[in-house]
Amino acid sequence: MTELPDDTVLRVSDLRTHFELGSRVAKSVDGVSFDVRRGETLAVVGESGSGKSVTSLSIMRLLSSPGRIVGGNILYRTSQGQVIDIATLPERKMRAVRGRELAMIFQEPMTSLNPLYTVGDQIVEMIRLHEPLSTADARRRARRMLELVEIPAADRRLDEYPHQMSGGMRQRVMIALALSCNPNLLIADEPTTALDVTIQAQILDLLRRLQREIGMSILFITHNLGVVAEIAHDVVVMYTGRVVEKSPVASLFAHQKHPYTRGLLACIPNASRDRGGAGERLRLNPIPGNVPPVTALPPGCSFAPRCSYRIPQCDEAPPLMAAGPSHLSRCWRHEAL
Amino acid sequence: MTGETLLSVQGLTKQFQTRNGTVKAVDGVSFDVKRGTIVGLVGESGSGKTTAGRCTLRLVEPNDGRIVFDGVDLRTLSEREMRAYRSRLQIIFQDPYSSLNPRLRVDQIIGEALDIHRPVRGSARRDRIAELLHRVGLNPDAARRYPHEFSGGQRQRIGIARALAVEPDFIVADEPVSALDVSVQAQVLNLIQDLQQDFGLTMLFIAHDLSVVEYLCDEVVVMYLGRVMERGPSREIYAMPRHPYTQALLSAAPLPDPAADRRRIVLKGDIPSPLDPPSGCVFRTRCRYAVEACAEIVPPLEDVGSNHHVACIRHGDPEVISQGLTL
Ligand SMILES: Nc1ncnc2c1ncn2[C@@H]1O[C@H](COP(=O)(O)OP(=O)(O)OP(=O)(O)O)[C@@H](O)[C@H]1O
Ligand SMILES: Nc1ncnc2c1ncn2[C@@H]1O[C@H](COP(=O)(O)OP(=O)(O)O)[C@@H](O)[C@H]1O
Ligand code: SF4
Ligand code: SF4
Ligand SMILES: [Mg+2]
Ligand SMILES: [Mg+2]
Repeated sequence: MTELPDDTVLRVSDLRTHFELGSRVAKSVDGVSFDVRRGETLAVVGESGSGKSVTSLSIMRLLSSPGRIVGGNILYRTSQGQVIDIATLPERKMRAVRGRELAMIFQEPMTSLNPLYTVGDQIVEMIRLHEPLSTADARRRARRMLELVEIPAADRRLDEYPHQMSGGMRQRVMIALALSCNPNLLIADEPTTALDVTIQAQILDLLRRLQREIGMSILFITHNLGVVAEIAHDVVVMYTGRVVEKSPVASLFAHQKHPYTRGLLACIPNASRDRGGAGERLRLNPIPGNVPPVTALPPGCSFAPRCSYRIPQCDEAPPLMAAGPSHLSRCWRHEAL
Repeated sequence: MTGETLLSVQGLTKQFQTRNGTVKAVDGVSFDVKRGTIVGLVGESGSGKTTAGRCTLRLVEPNDGRIVFDGVDLRTLSEREMRAYRSRLQIIFQDPYSSLNPRLRVDQIIGEALDIHRPVRGSARRDRIAELLHRVGLNPDAARRYPHEFSGGQRQRIGIARALAVEPDFIVADEPVSALDVSVQAQVLNLIQDLQQDFGLTMLFIAHDLSVVEYLCDEVVVMYLGRVMERGPSREIYAMPRHPYTQALLSAAPLPDPAADRRRIVLKGDIPSPLDPPSGCVFRTRCRYAVEACAEIVPPLEDVGSNHHVACIRHGDPEVISQGLTL
C-alpha cells in the first residue's frame, strides 16, 4: 500500500466518493485514478457536475455530509518522505496534513478568507497554527508571502480587510495564505474562472513562476481547455464522475482518443476554423444533449446518448484502455478516432 | 436591408452617485449597429458594458448622449411614447438562473411577454408559445414546467424565447452564454445565429470571451473604464488590434493549443477605481507605451480606415503597430 514511485507526490487510485441521498446514491466520483508528479501540474478538466470539485475535496478530506469516500486510496508522500493514505487517515492526523502539506485554493476567494479579520492576521494565524514562530516573525513571513504573490505595498495591504481589495488581489491573498506554510501540493479548484482574462493571465504566470521557484506540485481543476493548454503537464478529462481520457498535454491536444474530449475541443468557437473563406460563419459543432445527472446515468458507456461514434458494444461499460504512449481512453472505439 | 444603420449611439454617458463619489460608468460611448448584424461589446468587468447595454434600451436612464433607433432619438420620447418601442427592443441576461421568475410556469413567463406585445387567447396563445419553444429547441411539454426543472442551457433558451415573443428588431444580449458549459454554449450560439438569419435580428452582444465574439460578431467595440478604446470590423480588429489595451486583452486569452507560441503581454495591476479614473488616457496606468502626453490628452477615437477607430495618441507609432501584428 505504501508503494509510490519516487517522482510521484500523489497517487489517487480507484477513488469512489458517493453521496447517499435518501434512496438514491450520487456516485459523484466513481473509480478515479491519477498521479501528480513532483514539481508538475496535473489538470483535471470537465464540464459542470463531472466530479472535479468532489475529487479535490476528497483529497483535502473536506467533504461535507452526506459525501463519503467509499473506496480507493489517496496515497501521498509527505515532505519527510513518508507515504500515507489520506483516504483512511484519522481526522486528527489529517489536520496536520491540511494546510501544511496540502493546501487548496478556490474559485471564490471568500471561501478561504474571513471578512472580519485583516489579511495579515489571517496569514499570521495560519502560519502560527503550523509553526512555532513569534507573531513578529510570522508577520514578517506574511509580508514576504504577499510580496511573493506580487501584491504591491505589501506592508500596507497586510492591514487591509478582504473587501477592500479587488477580485484579482483577493485571489492573490488566498494563494499567499495557501502557500504560507510551504505546502508540497497545491490543489487549485477553478482559481481563475471568475477573473478577467488579463487577471487570469497574471495568476497563471504567478503559479508557473512559483512552481519553478519552489518546486511545488499542482493539481489544477478547470473547465477551460485554453487554461489546460497553458498550465498542465498532464491532463485528466472527467465525465460523470469518471476519468474518460488521460494523457500528457501535448498528446491530448494533438490527438483526442475519446469522443467527449474531441467534442469539447470542437465546440469552442475558433474563428480560423469556424468561419469560411469570405468570413461567413459556419455552424458550430456542439455536443448534443446535456450531461446526465450522476443519479441517473445511462447503462453502459455514460457518454453513449450524446456520442456520434456509438456502436452496439457501447451498451457495455468500457474500461480505461491504453490508446497510445502514456495515453488512456475509456472508449471502445479509441482506435477509430 | 443589411448595411443600413438601425441603432446609432452617440456620446452615451451614465454616472452613478455612490457614497464614495461619482462613478462614470459610461463616458461618451459611441457606436453604430447596422440592421441584421451582431456587434460585440467586450472589456474587463467593470468597464461599463452592462450599463451601456441597459442605457441603450433606456432600462437605465443615461445622463447624456443620443440613442437613435430607426431614425428616432429614444431619449426624446416620453415614457408613454417609449412604451411603443419597448417591444421592439429586448434584453437577454447572463444569469439564466435568476432572470426567470421561479414561481411562474414557462408558458406564463412567455405569455407575459406576449401580453405586452400582441395579446392572444386560447389555442392561438398555446400555439404561439409552442412555436416559440420549438424555435429555441425545447419540447412543447416544457410549457407546463417551472424554471428550476431545467438545466442552465435550457433556461437560457427560455430567456431567448421570452425575448423573441414580442418579435423585437433589436436585442441586447448581456453575456448570454458566459454561465454555460462549452458544449451547451455552442448549442446556444448556433441558436442565436439561426434566429439572426431567420428573423434578421440585430444584436448587441456583450461578452468577455474574446473567441466567442470573434466568431459571432460582425463588429467589435472594446471598452475600458467606461470609454471606447477601439472599434471596428471583427476581422480587422482580431487580425490587427491597434490599441495597446486590445492587444493586451487578445494576448491574454488562453488558446486551447499548447504548441501555440504567443508572446503574451501581461498587464500589470488591476483596472483602476472608476471613482478616480486616471487623467488623460484612462488606460495609461497599465499601458506599456504610455508617455507623458497620455496623462494630459483624452485620446479621441480616430478613424484608421475601413471603419476601424482607435483612441490612442500613439496608434500610428510603428512600435505599437508592430505589436498588433505579432499577436
Ligand atoms: N453535497 C452534495 N450532495 C449531493 N450531491 C452532490 C453534493 N456535492 C456534489 N454533488 C454531486 O456530485 C457531482 C459532481 O459535483 P462536483 O461539484 O464535483 O462537480 P464539478 O465537476 O466540480 O462541477 P463544476 O464545474 O460545476 O464546479 C454533481 O452531480 C453534484 O450534483
Ligand atoms: N447601480 C449602480 N450604482 C453604482 N455604480 C454602478 C451601478 N451599476 C454599475 N455601476 C458601476 O459602473 C461601472 C460599470 O459597471 P458595469 O456596466 O456593470 O460593467 P460591466 O458590465 O462591464 O462589468 C462599475 O464601476 C460599476 O461598479
Ligand atoms: S464507448 Fe462507445 S458510446 Fe462511449 S464514447 Fe466510445 S464510441 Fe462513444
Ligand atoms: S494614449 Fe498613451 S496610455 Fe493610452 S493607450 Fe495610447 S499610448 Fe497607451
Ligand atoms: Mg466545481
Ligand atoms: Mg456586466
